[in-house]
Amino acid sequence: MTQPTPLLSTLETYLKLTNTRAQAISSNMANVDTPGYRTHDINFESELRRATAMAPMETADNTGTVHFAPVVREVPGLLERPDGNNVNLDREGLLLAESQLQYQLGVQLIKGQFHQILSAINGGN
Amino acid sequence: MNLFDALSISGSALSAERQRSEIIAANMANAETTHTMAGGPYHRREVVFETPATSSFRLALAATRQMPGNVPGSVHISQVVDDPSPPVMRYQPGHPDADSQGYVAYPAINPAAEMVDLMGSVRAYQLNASAVAATKSMIQQSIDILKS
Repeated sequence: MTQPTPLLSTLETYLKLTNTRAQAISSNMANVDTPGYRTHDINFESELRRATAMAPMETADNTGTVHFAPVVREVPGLLERPDGNNVNLDREGLLLAESQLQYQLGVQLIKGQFHQILSAINGGN
Repeated sequence: MNLFDALSISGSALSAERQRSEIIAANMANAETTHTMAGGPYHRREVVFETPATSSFRLALAATRQMPGNVPGSVHISQVVDDPSPPVMRYQPGHPDADSQGYVAYPAINPAAEMVDLMGSVRAYQLNASAVAATKSMIQQSIDILKS
């Protein structure tokens, strides 16, 4: 959907990516005892860069929704247990807290944007 | 792919861990059971966890198909297996289940090992419950955008 300000569409992508990451962390936590399960995650920075780079050309032709699917990859370099599972609880806990704060930040910034628009509508009152 | 999928993934883990706790509780409760419907002593049981999609290709495919009730990345119990270890024989000639030499077959259950397994299950449950709380607060924040 085309947003009223460019920052809002960036923030929308930011929230979507945070959401994807939270889901990856949830599924890593859910499979903490599944034999052979490999930790999944997205590379947040590069995905955000990729999404923001493709956003302007999507909005230019007014096709509506931005079709962006973040790439979920296996995380390399984690210590593997004998059953083939490499979920690290400390890592997941830390990332869950981080993505929660990221989400909160995105929501606060979106609220700030809408307040600005509302303030413009009300003529600065 | 939305926040409610994350909720159902954590929910599937809560359900799987609860079933695992039930099986462990049954093992501990039947540590001294010598008589079962199938005959012989109780057999220790174990759960096998499984995740529906293993490769990222299947993950992506499942995400596009939007299969209900089978969110990629969730966990479920694929089977409950019997522990094949032989029963422990104890000499109790007066016992109704004693064999001709006076030995009674008891299930090979180590309460300490079961307790450790139960603790692991409880910790995993707590972890996923905290993930549910985190997802819930994210959904609540999304709703808060609508408030001024």
